[in-house]
Amino acid sequence: MSSAEDTNNWVGKSLPRKEENRLLRGRGKFADDIKLRAMLYLRFVRSPYAHARIVSLDTSAAEVLPGVACVLTGAEIAKTTQPFIEIGPDPFAKIKDYPLAVSKVRYQGEPVAAVVAESPAEADDAAELVQSEYEALDPVVDAEKALEDKSLLHEDVGTNRVWNGVFEYGDVEGAFKEAAYVVNIDRLHFHRFSSTPLENNVVIAQWNPKDERIYYQCNNSFPSFAIQFLAAHLGVHIDRIRVETSDIGGSFGIKITSYPQMAVCALASKKAGGRPVKWVETRSEHITSSAHGNERTFRDTRVALDKNGVITALVSRHIDDCGAYPRYEPLGCVIWSQVFPGVYRFKNARIDFSQAVTNKCPVGPNRGYSRMQHLWFLERIVDICAHKIGIAADEMRLRNYILPEEFPYTTPNGCVYDSGNYPKMLQVAKSLFGWDDWKIKQAAARKEGRLIGIGIGTTLDSGTNNFGQSQIVNPFLPYSGNSQGANCKLDIYGEVVLAVGSCPQGQGHETTAAQVVADVLNVHPDLITVRTGFDTERNVHTGFSGTYASQFAVSGLSAVHGAAQKLKSEIKRLAAFALNTKEDDLEFGSGAQGPEIRAKSSGKSINYWGLSNLVNANSASLPSDLYEITLNCRYVWRAPFKVPDTKKKYGSLTLTYASQLHVAVVEVERDTFIPRILDYVAVDDCGTVINPSIVEGQVYGATAHGIGAAVMENCVYDAVGNMLTSTFSDYTPITAMNMPKVKYGHIETPSPHSYSGAKGMGEGGAAPIHTISAALQDALFANDIIIEDSFNNADSLFRAMAAKEIRHVVSIEKRI
Amino acid sequence: MYPRAFHYHRAGSLREAASMLSEFGDAKLLAGGQSLIPLMKLRYANPSHLVDLNFIEGTSYIKEESGVLRFGALTRHAEIEASTVAGKIPIIHDCAAGIADVQVRNRGTIGGSLAEADPSGDWATVLITLQTEVRCQKSQGDRRVQLTDFIKDAYTTALAQDELVSEVVVKVPPKGSAGAYLAFKRSAPVYPTASAAVQLTMDGETCKDAAIALGCVGLTAIKAKDAEAALRGQRVTEKTIAAAVEAARAVADPQSDMRGSVDYKRMLAGSLVKRAIDIADRRARGEQVEAGHIYA
Ligand SMILES: Cc1cc2nc3c(=O)[nH]c(=O)nc-3n(C[C@H](O)[C@H](O)[C@H](O)COP(=O)(O)OP(=O)(O)OC[C@H]3O[C@@H](n4cnc5c(N)ncnc54)[C@H](O)[C@@H]3O)c2cc1C
Repeated sequence: MSSAEDTNNWVGKSLPRKEENRLLRGRGKFADDIKLRAMLYLRFVRSPYAHARIVSLDTSAAEVLPGVACVLTGAEIAKTTQPFIEIGPDPFAKIKDYPLAVSKVRYQGEPVAAVVAESPAEADDAAELVQSEYEALDPVVDAEKALEDKSLLHEDVGTNRVWNGVFEYGDVEGAFKEAAYVVNIDRLHFHRFSSTPLENNVVIAQWNPKDERIYYQCNNSFPSFAIQFLAAHLGVHIDRIRVETSDIGGSFGIKITSYPQMAVCALASKKAGGRPVKWVETRSEHITSSAHGNERTFRDTRVALDKNGVITALVSRHIDDCGAYPRYEPLGCVIWSQVFPGVYRFKNARIDFSQAVTNKCPVGPNRGYSRMQHLWFLERIVDICAHKIGIAADEMRLRNYILPEEFPYTTPNGCVYDSGNYPKMLQVAKSLFGWDDWKIKQAAARKEGRLIGIGIGTTLDSGTNNFGQSQIVNPFLPYSGNSQGANCKLDIYGEVVLAVGSCPQGQGHETTAAQVVADVLNVHPDLITVRTGFDTERNVHTGFSGTYASQFAVSGLSAVHGAAQKLKSEIKRLAAFALNTKEDDLEFGSGAQGPEIRAKSSGKSINYWGLSNLVNANSASLPSDLYEITLNCRYVWRAPFKVPDTKKKYGSLTLTYASQLHVAVVEVERDTFIPRILDYVAVDDCGTVINPSIVEGQVYGATAHGIGAAVMENCVYDAVGNMLTSTFSDYTPITAMNMPKVKYGHIETPSPHSYSGAKGMGEGGAAPIHTISAALQDALFANDIIIEDSFNNADSLFRAMAAKEIRHVVSIEKRI
Repeated sequence: MYPRAFHYHRAGSLREAASMLSEFGDAKLLAGGQSLIPLMKLRYANPSHLVDLNFIEGTSYIKEESGVLRFGALTRHAEIEASTVAGKIPIIHDCAAGIADVQVRNRGTIGGSLAEADPSGDWATVLITLQTEVRCQKSQGDRRVQLTDFIKDAYTTALAQDELVSEVVVKVPPKGSAGAYLAFKRSAPVYPTASAAVQLTMDGETCKDAAIALGCVGLTAIKAKDAEAALRGQRVTEKTIAAAVEAARAVADPQSDMRGSVDYKRMLAGSLVKRAIDIADRRARGEQVEAGHIYA
C-alpha cells in the first residue's frame, strides 16, 4: 500500500502552490468580488488640508440627491460612539481618534464625511456636493519640529510627543572612556514609504437591526486586533462582531489598520436600516490615507570603537514619526528593540526613543515594521565607521558580527537569537557574486572616473513576537505571549479538512499547511483541503490570529502540526478498535480507496470514510469509551514567552530570527545620476525550509519592495502637508522593468525555538535598503558624500553631488 | 472613482464625429481613452457628451506614399511599434515602443496623443524633428496644419471646437538621415522626466542638417534651435556635441515636480541629447542601435 510518495517528507519540497490554480487564473475571491442584495456604496469626503479647524460642513445637498441613502459626519458619529482605544499610556490616551474628523482635521485626506448611495457613481456624485469650510492651522510635517510643540495636533494631550523611553544597557560611559575611535553622526533619516498592496482596502459591513450583530467581509489582515478596536468604539459587545476574510491581494501590514473605515461602514449600514454597505478604496485614497511605513530620524549618534574597529558602544536619539494618529503605535517604539544590536556584538548602548505625531497620514506596520528602520541605522553606522577608520566593509562586518558559536545569543536587552551564521552568509554571497572580480572591475572603473560602489546589507527578520512587549510601552495592556489556532478534522465523508486562523495574501499558507498535515497523516497534500482566511464564526482563531509579523511558519504551522497530531491520535484509537488490533500495529497510508489505516499484522484496512462513519453515521457498534472521539480537533499553539521586565525593558521579545544578507554593485551614472544596479545577490537563512520555492518567492518580493523603497518610492509632503505623491505616476512603485536580475542563495541554520526548525521570514528586513545605501556610500565616499537618507534617487544624488558645500554630518575622534 | 454621468455617442464617420462636436458643444472625442478616461474618472474632465471614434472604419492605418508616411488618427501606439513600414524611420519606432506600458500602447492613439498636447507626451517631441503635418477635419472640409503650428501651448492645439485630427503625415527623411529618441522614465506607467529627439542628416563626416527637440521640460516640446545650429554644417565631434548639449540645456524650461527638480531635469535633458546624438550618428552610418525609453 505504500507508494513512492508515502515517504513522510512533503515538508522541504518545492510543492507548487495549491492556491495557484485559483489565483493565477483570476478565479480568486476577493472582497470586492462580493456582491450582496440591496448593497449600498460608500464614498468618503476628505480634507484637502493637513491641519485645519472644520468651520462648517454642509451635507444637505448631498442628502437630497436621488440615490443617496444617508450621509455621516464626524460630529454626528461622535455623539453615539467612543473614540478608538489608544495603545499608549496616559496622557496619550487623551487622543480622540474618530474615524471621521470631528472638529479639526489632522492630515490631508482625512475623512470628514461619508456618503452612502445606491451605486458607486451616485456616491461619487453626492460626495462632490458636500460643502466644507476650513480654517487653516499651522501644519507640522517634520517630527523633530513637532517635538517643539509650537503647534499641537491633539490639544488635550498637550504635546506632540506621544511616547518616550530610554533603552540603556551595559556600561556606556565606560566604553566611551576606553574607546580608540569615537565617530559622531549628526543626523540620519529613514524615509516614509508604503509597500502598496495591489488590492486596496475593501470593507463590506452589515449591521443587522434584528440581533444587533455586525458582519464584516473585508480584507483586513489582523481581524482579531481590529475587532477589539471596533467593539469599544461602536459600543457593541465584542462577540457580536463577525469578521470574515477571503483572498487578499497583498497587505504587507498596511491593511492591519483599516478598522476606522470598517467602523464607518458599520455605522452607515446601521443608519441605512441594516443594508450592506461596501467601501472600495481608490488608489489615491490608499496612498494618501490608509497607512504609511514609519519615518524615523536618528540624531546625535556617537559610536565607540576599539582599535580594531570593533564597536563597543552606541548612543543615539531616535525620533519616530507616526503621522496624525498613533493607531497601531506606539508599539513601534518597542518593536525595533527585538533587533536591538542587529547582527552585531556590541553590549553597551543607550537609545533615547521618542515618537511624535505630525500632520501626515497615520503609519501602519509596514513590511519590516519598526525593525528595518533600526537595522538600516545600524548598517549605516557600520559602513560610516568603516569608511572613516579605513576598514573594508566586509572586514568591518566580520569583526563585529555575532559569531556562529555564540548562538543561542542573548542580546543586551534580553532577546534570544535562536540561530544564525552571518559570516557564512557573507561567504556564500561573495562567491555567488564574484566578489574578487567585482573588486578588480570596480578599481578599473574608478580609474575611468566611474562612480561604482559595492555594498553589503545584513539584516534580521524577527518573527513570532511576544505581545508582552506591548507592556513596555504601556504596562496596563492585557497582552502577552503569542498563540495561534488550527483545526484539523475528518469530515463526515472522510475528507481531511484543515482550518487555520491566518489570512494569507499570497504567502502560500494552503500549501505549506497541507505539507505539514500530509507528513503527519502520510497522505498526499492534494487530499487535504485547507481553509485559510479569518472567520470569527469558524472558531479556529485565537487572539493573535491574522497574517502579519513573519510568523506563520512558526506559530501557524505549529498549530497545524498540533491539530494534525491530535487528529492522528484519535484516528489511531478508532482504527485500533475497528481493525481489532493495537495502535502500534497501525500504518498510515493510501490504498485503492484513498487514505487509509492498515493493520500490519492482519493486512486489514479501513479508509477515512469508514472511520468517519463510525463516529457520524454508523456509530451503534462504537463502545462508549470512544464517544469522546470527534475526529474534529482544535489545537492552540502557545509561544513559550514570559512577560518582559518593563522597567528595565528587558526580556525575550521574539522567537525566531531569520537573517538576510544582500550584496549589490551600484553605479551612479555620471550623466544621468541614475543609481544603476549592476549586480545583486540575496542570501537568505530562515532555518529549516518548508517550501523552498515559496521562500524564494518571498525573498524576490521583499527584494523588490526594498529596491523600490531605496531608489523609487517615497511619500513626499510639502511644507504645508500636501501629499505630492498621491498617484502611482508620482509614487512610482517598483515594477518588473525596474528590477535587476537577483541571484539567490541560502543557508539553513535550524531554529531550536520551533518544532520544525523553521523561522518566520515573510517581511525580509528590508535588506536592499541597507545594501543600496551601503553601495552608494562606497561609490561616493571618495567625493566626501555620506549617505544620510534611506531614499536615494537620481535627482537626490545629482543634488548631493552638485551641492557647493559638503555637509559635514560625520566626524571622527582618534584617540590612539 | 467614477466619471460624472454623460451621454455616449458612437460616430459612424469622422465627418459625423465633427458634426456631433458642433451640435453638442460640451463634447469630447474618445479615441484610446488613455488620457481622457483617467481625467474623467478623477472628475477633472466632465464632458456632457462623449463621441466615440473607435467604431469608425478606416481610421487606423500606416501607409507609405510618395515620400510620406500616413498614420490614421486612430492608429494605436502598439500598431506603430509593430509596423515595418513605420520602422523605416527608427526614431518613430523608438517612440512607439516605449510609451507607457503594453496596455496603454494597445489603446492609445497617435491622433489622440497629438490632440491632447500633453507637455510630457512623446509623439510631439519626436515628430517635430521630422516634417510632420496634421490633417484636421470639420464636418465640411479639411485642412493641413504643420505640427509646429498645430501645438500652441500645454494642452492647447490649433483645432477648432468642431474639428478633429484625421491623419498624421510624416515626410520620410532623406538617405543618410537617421534619428534617435531617448526618454528617461522612472517606471512604465509614468511620463518621462525628460526626453530628447535628435534627427541628423549626414553627408559623409559632416552633419548637413540636425533637428533636436526636448520633451517634458517645457509647456510644449521645445525645438532646440541653437543646439541644431551647433551641429549643422559641422563634424560631429566631442566639441560640437558639447556645444549642442549646452545649447539644449539653455533652452530647457522645466518645472520641478516628483519626476525631478528644475536643475536635474535641465541637466538630464542635455545628457539625453548627447546620448541621442551619438546613436543618431551611428545609425546614420548604417549601424543597428537599440534605443528608446531608459528606466531609472
Ligand atoms: C498610465 C499611463 C501612462 C502614459 N504614459 C505616457 C507616456 O509616457 N508618453 C506618452 O506620450 N503618453 C503616455 N500616456 C498617454 C497615452 O499615450 C495616450 O494614448 C495619449 O495621450 C492620448 O491618446 P488616446 O488615443 O488615448 O486619446 P484619448 O484619451 O481618447 O483622448 C485624449 C484627448 O484628445 C482628444 N482626441 C482624441 N482623438 C482625437 C482626434 N482624432 N482628434 C481630435 N481630438 C482627439 C480627446 O477628445 C481628448 O480630449 C500614458 C497614459 C497612461 C494611462
